[in-house]
Amino acid sequence: MRRQLRSRRAPAFPYGYRYRLDDQDEVNQNYLADEEEEAEEAQVLVVPDLEEEEEKEEEERSQGQPIGNAWWQKLQIMIEYLWDPERRISLAQTGQSWRVMIRPFAHSLNFNFNVSEPDTWQHYVISLNGFLQGYNDSLQEEMNVDCPPGQYFIQDGNEDEDKKACQFKRSFLKNCSGLEDPTFGYATGQPCILLKMNRIVGFRPELGDPVKVSCKVQRGDEDDIRSINYYPESASFDLRYYPYYGKLTHVNYTSPLVAMHFTDVVKNQAVPVQCQLKGKGIINDVISDHFVGRVIFTLNIET
Amino acid sequence: MSRKTLEIYSVELDGTKDTKQTDQEDDKKYNDLDLKKSHQKEELKRELDLDDHKLTSEELEQKYGTNIITGLSSARAAEHLARDGPNTLSPPKQTPEIIKFLKQMVGGFSILLWIGAVLCWIAYGIQYVNDKSASLDSVYLGVVLALVVILTGIFAYYQEAKSTNIMASFSKMIPQEALVIRDSEKKVIPAEQLVVGDIVEIKGGDQIPADIRLLSSQGCKVDNSSLTGESEPQPRSAEFTHENPLETKNIGFYSTTCLEGTATGVVINTGDRTVIGRIASLASGVGSEKTPIATEIEHFVHIVAGVAVSVGLLFFIIAVSLKYQVLDSIIFLIGIIVANVPEGLLATVTVTLSLTAKRMAKKNCLVKNLEAVETLGSTSIICSDKTGTLTQNRMAVAHLWFDNQIFMADTSENQLNQAFDQSSGTWASLSKIIALCNRAEFRPGQENIPIMKKVVVGDASETALLKFSEVILGDVMEIRKRNRKVAEIPFNSTNKFQLSIHETEDPEDKHFLVVMKGAPERILERCSTIMINGQEQPLGKSNATAFHTAYMELGGLGERVLGFCHLYLPEDEFPESYPFDVDAMNFPTSNLCFVGLLSMIDPPRSTVPDAVAKCRSAGIKVIMVTGDHPITAKAVAKSVGVISASSETVEDIARRCSIAVEQVNKRDARAAVVTGMELKDMAPEQLDEILANYSEIVFARTSPQQKLIIVEGCQRQDAVVAVTGDGVNDSPALKKADIGIAMGIAGSDAAKNAADMVLLDDNFASIVTGVEEGRLIFDNLKKTIAYTLTKNIAELCPFLIYIIVGLPLPIGTITLLFIDLGTDIIPSIALAYEKAESDIMNRKPRHKKKDRLVNHQLAIYSYLHIGLMQALGAFLVYFTVYAQQGFWPTSLINLRVRWEKDELNDVEDSYGQEWTRYQRKYLEWTGYTAFFVGIMVQQIADLIIRKTRRNSIFQQGLFRNKVIWVGIASQIIIALILSYGLGSVTALSFTMLRPQYWFVAIPHAILIWVYDEVRKLFIRRYPGSWWDKNMYY
Repeated sequence: MRRQLRSRRAPAFPYGYRYRLDDQDEVNQNYLADEEEEAEEAQVLVVPDLEEEEEKEEEERSQGQPIGNAWWQKLQIMIEYLWDPERRISLAQTGQSWRVMIRPFAHSLNFNFNVSEPDTWQHYVISLNGFLQGYNDSLQEEMNVDCPPGQYFIQDGNEDEDKKACQFKRSFLKNCSGLEDPTFGYATGQPCILLKMNRIVGFRPELGDPVKVSCKVQRGDEDDIRSINYYPESASFDLRYYPYYGKLTHVNYTSPLVAMHFTDVVKNQAVPVQCQLKGKGIINDVISDHFVGRVIFTLNIET
Repeated sequence: MSRKTLEIYSVELDGTKDTKQTDQEDDKKYNDLDLKKSHQKEELKRELDLDDHKLTSEELEQKYGTNIITGLSSARAAEHLARDGPNTLSPPKQTPEIIKFLKQMVGGFSILLWIGAVLCWIAYGIQYVNDKSASLDSVYLGVVLALVVILTGIFAYYQEAKSTNIMASFSKMIPQEALVIRDSEKKVIPAEQLVVGDIVEIKGGDQIPADIRLLSSQGCKVDNSSLTGESEPQPRSAEFTHENPLETKNIGFYSTTCLEGTATGVVINTGDRTVIGRIASLASGVGSEKTPIATEIEHFVHIVAGVAVSVGLLFFIIAVSLKYQVLDSIIFLIGIIVANVPEGLLATVTVTLSLTAKRMAKKNCLVKNLEAVETLGSTSIICSDKTGTLTQNRMAVAHLWFDNQIFMADTSENQLNQAFDQSSGTWASLSKIIALCNRAEFRPGQENIPIMKKVVVGDASETALLKFSEVILGDVMEIRKRNRKVAEIPFNSTNKFQLSIHETEDPEDKHFLVVMKGAPERILERCSTIMINGQEQPLGKSNATAFHTAYMELGGLGERVLGFCHLYLPEDEFPESYPFDVDAMNFPTSNLCFVGLLSMIDPPRSTVPDAVAKCRSAGIKVIMVTGDHPITAKAVAKSVGVISASSETVEDIARRCSIAVEQVNKRDARAAVVTGMELKDMAPEQLDEILANYSEIVFARTSPQQKLIIVEGCQRQDAVVAVTGDGVNDSPALKKADIGIAMGIAGSDAAKNAADMVLLDDNFASIVTGVEEGRLIFDNLKKTIAYTLTKNIAELCPFLIYIIVGLPLPIGTITLLFIDLGTDIIPSIALAYEKAESDIMNRKPRHKKKDRLVNHQLAIYSYLHIGLMQALGAFLVYFTVYAQQGFWPTSLINLRVRWEKDELNDVEDSYGQEWTRYQRKYLEWTGYTAFFVGIMVQQIADLIIRKTRRNSIFQQGLFRNKVIWVGIASQIIIALILSYGLGSVTALSFTMLRPQYWFVAIPHAILIWVYDEVRKLFIRRYPGSWWDKNMYY
């Protein structure tokens, strides 16, 4: 039933609007409340913020449903909405849309450097190295578990019980791990840029194909970027890294990454790049927030 | 009557601030007259330099180049008209509308807000120079601030203009016409085209169209009340009788009324050069005082602006030394200013005042200057005119003496309770004389009008007698018809009696009846017998003594006494066909039969004694200032309670103890009667002493300038002075007073113009209503201000904490404006409808300098007690929202820099979630909304606690003032609309708030209520204690 609602809703709202609702959404709390439900029920229920909205929604839902049941659900949602039993966990300002961010990050999203002048790119390397310390294979092996890919890593149990985290090893990033090439390709004008999704407690991507990353020139000549290598090669975030239980219990959680290796980019000119998430239910074209499901940055590699 | 014509004035309604300046302008304008305050007395004298009354007709003809028979030629008249201008009073100089408007734009807090707006634009300018893509936020804010100023300015201007219109409609132009001789022809021309030298004819009922020197007259009498305030008819003739042009009989003054007779005169002055015109310009030369409420509001603005600027600058310095950028610091400064300034308050005050003004207008007090609404409440001295204000401005029979007995007559407005004994035969005779020896007549066609309201042709005394007998005897005209008049000698000043001869009612009785009335001593001289119990008795010595005692007694009451006598002529000597000749007096006028005495007085209005008593219990000193005779003045003062029954003057004590006046200890006397003559020789210090030492004072025989001196004397005592008056002569005093009150019916336009308030029913009792409303509005304004100031702290703290602790901004500047100008407006107006907590008419008037509208108790209690509690409550909501969204309060500390960095799009919260800049901004707006709702919810509690200052809410009644609930509903509805209706408009930075956040501040609201109840409880329990002194505002 919920799935049905979801699909009915989806086209009904432009993304901008949906996004706005998302910001205050109760997705997570619903999600957590629904923990007992079967895995297929993982579809997320959107609870709009407005009461009126909710009522309208409820009316829609109740069509063809036994009235008592509809009322009961309505009441339940109202109660959840007004008085959230989940006190420990964030009330999920974050919504169901993934926001993404990239590394290295140095105050701006413009990557200007001169291959022949290490000073201009050294700080990117340091930043990446620092960022990846937590992903060192030894550390990951010691702290985290190797969980089966392709499915959620759901951990039932008490809320305040510590949760295990899945390994994401630095070595997954291959050429961009900094292990083989300590300059992450910057010394050769083939920079690595890591993409991560902002953590949202309790949120899970939809089942099916994992979320993929795809980059292209944002504006201008498509051929400015001739090739990109993604690591892990699937260019996707595996489902086993979800859901995130919050840093209080999910202490060693390591955000999964996708590295983009720009191996052949036009030099000596600014190339605007847009990396988008692709997948079922992924929103990546919100105007007010440029980081919903995508990230835009420029590469200006001088030689 | 004068009201109808003196249209020439248009109404000037200035805010107090303008008045000062206009006055300066006026001063300049009238520089040639040199109307400096100190010279006023001399000025008035100089203005009356007029010698036309001494000239002969020929000299006049020569002087004005006219001819008494043929008048001016049209050409000549046109020439004069071009030279002197039209015969109208130039209206008081009006402040141009645009200036009035601009003044609203810069008054009060506007300057601060303008500074804020300009700073905003400067900040944007700097930002723009550094970064072309700078956000337009500060431009919006600047525009909003400017709009706020402009809109509140327009609002205040509109309010003022509205009350101006009330007054403007009050005096509608009725074109006046004059009958003039020009080119040897009688013409009717508009009075404003009259020129000097014109020969005009006037008749009874006309308004004298200019200052004229009379050339001839037939029984002409004028009513100079518009000039002197006394409506006693004065005869006018062509003879020069007095050096003083004001006293001489051969001058008629512009705007006075000709009551009866006809006259011809030559115009000697027109327009502003007339006596009235000069007094009018004297009035506009007198600076009117700033109203007390204006002073209070200024004081309040200073306090708030002082706090705003000093906190602003302090935190500007702190911000700069905390290494914030100067630009950011400027923006903080703006935030602090906006948070501190109660933008909506001045508009609220205006609305509150105009609501009261409306309420007062319903009770016949028309308020011209809104601020005057409160002035009446703080009035501590009322200088009341006698005639027409305290009294009914007509004569009425007060006492009768016959059968050696004084009887009292009913002098109330309708005179229906004539309770004296009417069975005596003497009364039958007396009533017949009263009815017959009277030339006054009702104007025809008034059958359905109550007797007292009928218009009478005749002078005041005769009118009084006519109405008196009409009430008692019924149709007087019928009686006169039955007793046909055969001859008559009208009253004249040499005879001092009036006589008429009538046939008797009984057709069988062929006697003639001679009836006579006049000055009692003259009448008595002509009598040889006296009627006692219907029987004629010889006039013995004892009877004469009784007569004198009665005469003295009635005279001592300040009453005008008339004697009445009659004589039945013997039938044989005076047969039916006897030719009576009034010139030859071929009938006896002595050895008549004395019947009785009758005394008349201008009776006090029936509501006045009660009103005076109320004023007294309200701690207001009522001083009577009149041009009338001291004895009359004192008698009226006693009868209305201006001098209370138990009080004595120095003279009374002297008489009682039979000692010389000088020997009396002045401290023993509570009352004093001061005449204009005494006042003239007094130094200001002596006047001060009198005003300070006597609680009951009557000033008699005063001139317009002396009224001014008295008002100034009272103002030197730090008193707030109200002056009532109706004549043009009162207008300088009306203007000088803190509040001038003019009579709406009897008042001249000059008086109404100079006044701040007009009593539509001429009733002194309306003043008491005004005082009550004025006091109530002062109390309620206190409540309104306390209510409004409270949230300032809750609005200010976010900025201070933002600067010092580095939290994400809890509330935005624009959101603040939505509280100040949105949710808070209607509730603060609603407080104006609050009923008084206790009997406000039983306490003293507030002291101008000690009982401030905003005292430090009010400021401290509002700012530091309730204000801080409110700030805490609002922060609670704010922290709740942030914590529930993932940011615990501890994580917010010093988060500001990272929070506001646009490039940072994965700021981690307390749960490890990562936030983009836009998400954070949205959360920030949600925080604004939450903080806003927090303040709003607590302002509801604040509103309820402000209903009373001393009593418990339960004593006052929660539901008695329904408007409060409208206010509360409006608060909630506006907030709901802002959050859910406009939650999607980015520029307003409101978001849809989850319902539970609306309830977070409620415990705090309850706490505020309980806290204030406890405060009030202790104030009531321990009056005079430290608590009472410091916690009662």
